Amino acid sequence: MSGLFPLEFLNEEAHLLTGILMGFFFGFTLERAGFGNARKLAAQFYFHDMAVFKVMFTAILVAMVGLYSLVAMGVVDMSRMWINPTFIWAQVIGGFLLGVGFIVSGLCPGTSMVSMFSGRIDGLVAFLGMFIGSFVFIVSIDWFPSLARLYVAGSMGTSTLPDVLGVSAPVLILGIVVMAGLGMIGAEVVERIFQKRRQAVELTPAPTPRARNWKFALTGSLAMLVVGAIAASPAPPVVASVEPVAIEPLSLAEDLIAGDPNLMVLDLRSATMTENGMVPDALPAADRAAALPYLQTLAPDTRVVVYDEVGIRPEIPQDWPRTLRYYFLAGGFEGWRTGVLTPVEPASYDLEHREQVARQNQIAAFFSGAAVQSSAVSAPPPVISSGGAKKKKNRGC
Amino acid sequence: MKPKSYWNPYLAGIVLGLVLLGSFLIAGQGLGGSALPKRTIALVGSKVAPEASAANPVLGGYLEDDSNPLKNWIVVEMIGVMMGGFIGAVSAGRFKATVEKGPRTTTKTRLVYALIGGIIMGFAAGLARGCTSGQALSGGALLATGSWAFMLMVFAGGYTFAYFMRRQWT
Repeated sequence: MSGLFPLEFLNEEAHLLTGILMGFFFGFTLERAGFGNARKLAAQFYFHDMAVFKVMFTAILVAMVGLYSLVAMGVVDMSRMWINPTFIWAQVIGGFLLGVGFIVSGLCPGTSMVSMFSGRIDGLVAFLGMFIGSFVFIVSIDWFPSLARLYVAGSMGTSTLPDVLGVSAPVLILGIVVMAGLGMIGAEVVERIFQKRRQAVELTPAPTPRARNWKFALTGSLAMLVVGAIAASPAPPVVASVEPVAIEPLSLAEDLIAGDPNLMVLDLRSATMTENGMVPDALPAADRAAALPYLQTLAPDTRVVVYDEVGIRPEIPQDWPRTLRYYFLAGGFEGWRTGVLTPVEPASYDLEHREQVARQNQIAAFFSGAAVQSSAVSAPPPVISSGGAKKKKNRGC
Repeated sequence: MKPKSYWNPYLAGIVLGLVLLGSFLIAGQGLGGSALPKRTIALVGSKVAPEASAANPVLGGYLEDDSNPLKNWIVVEMIGVMMGGFIGAVSAGRFKATVEKGPRTTTKTRLVYALIGGIIMGFAAGLARGCTSGQALSGGALLATGSWAFMLMVFAGGYTFAYFMRRQWT
């Protein structure tokens, strides 16, 4: 599945230019939210101005619901998205320490820059402190092996919550939207209680009317729920790979003779190779993408047998319908040629063995159009119906 | 010019969410806020002590392909944050050389704490491979497991130490 987004850039400079642009909007929005003001950020931890929680979770909801909706629509290819790798212990300890630094400085790394550039000396000092702290960490990791171990402790690679919790992304997103919505309503209640003692942090005495905040929280949560429900309705792309099962040439031959209507054979070889013969009724499918529209018309549980020249287990493309059952021909077309098209001599006088040989030779004759080899057992097999035989023979190899 | 009021937090959140979504769609990654110090140290380190820097678990990754460690999307994005913050503050009439502090503390104490807090955050962002922007906000929207653990622990750390810092802020 390949979506339009994320965009691919021909040169690095154009890519970097988008960084300046996105950063500009980020910084501007943080400033307008009041996040260049350490007092407003710190107030989050004293409950009288919960703007940090409200802004942060609204942003997470919008970006999360928007992104996963676009993924469900096939517009975004998540395989090209950079997702933070998980080093759970490094992140747990680092997160706690960052929270401590947050309440001590009143700022977080991103907002310290906004604070500094809106003229705040404390923002400048905190930003310089970050350089010192980064340097201390970088040197310490060389000095203390235990810190180097913590840095990589709990490595889980690219891990996402739907994988870890075993729920589908749309369900989890709906859960997060509901929880965040309740959290926002809770934040409004908590603020109202704590603002009896301290006011919301405003640079100018123009606090937003409380009623409007309530409406915002409610309508925002409801809108998000609706969008989330829409995003949840199309099934998320299943990425589980399908392992085709091997099928023996003789077994396939019997099924073709029987005229199984729920059987489809695809030849994956190039056109130059199919000229020298194909399995009867097989559809040329060297271009696997071109076969897709045809596969989509097949009834569920139809058996699809694919083959190449030598019988390597093929990769079933991700977008081929998962409702079909996939097989590959053991030995490939070579296996078909030797196992089905070539008559065999009986190797022993065992009656059962000779019956098998006779049957195989009838099949060989059937598909190759040659005369039936003389054989001790020559009773015509009942499975070969005349109608089916005629139909197959016309397209014989 | 009389300073403008701050945006409604839900409105600011929606705008911020759209910026973050735009960043995912355009650049294939979220926003960040802590790469600049680390990568500046990588640049200086590669000139002053090339071997030690290349061998360092943090700096080594930034120096792998011999290119300038500051030639990086997040670094450029952080420069954009500074520009956006500046334009935002000036256009709202909020740009002012001052120190934000609580009513019960002195400027000197406030600046000392700002420095200590900054140092702790620099260390923490190094350990956690990101900060509230790169991990909590961006990784959170991507549903990354470690980012959610990080986010919850930021609030845990903040609320735990809020009691000890109450004189500074309230």
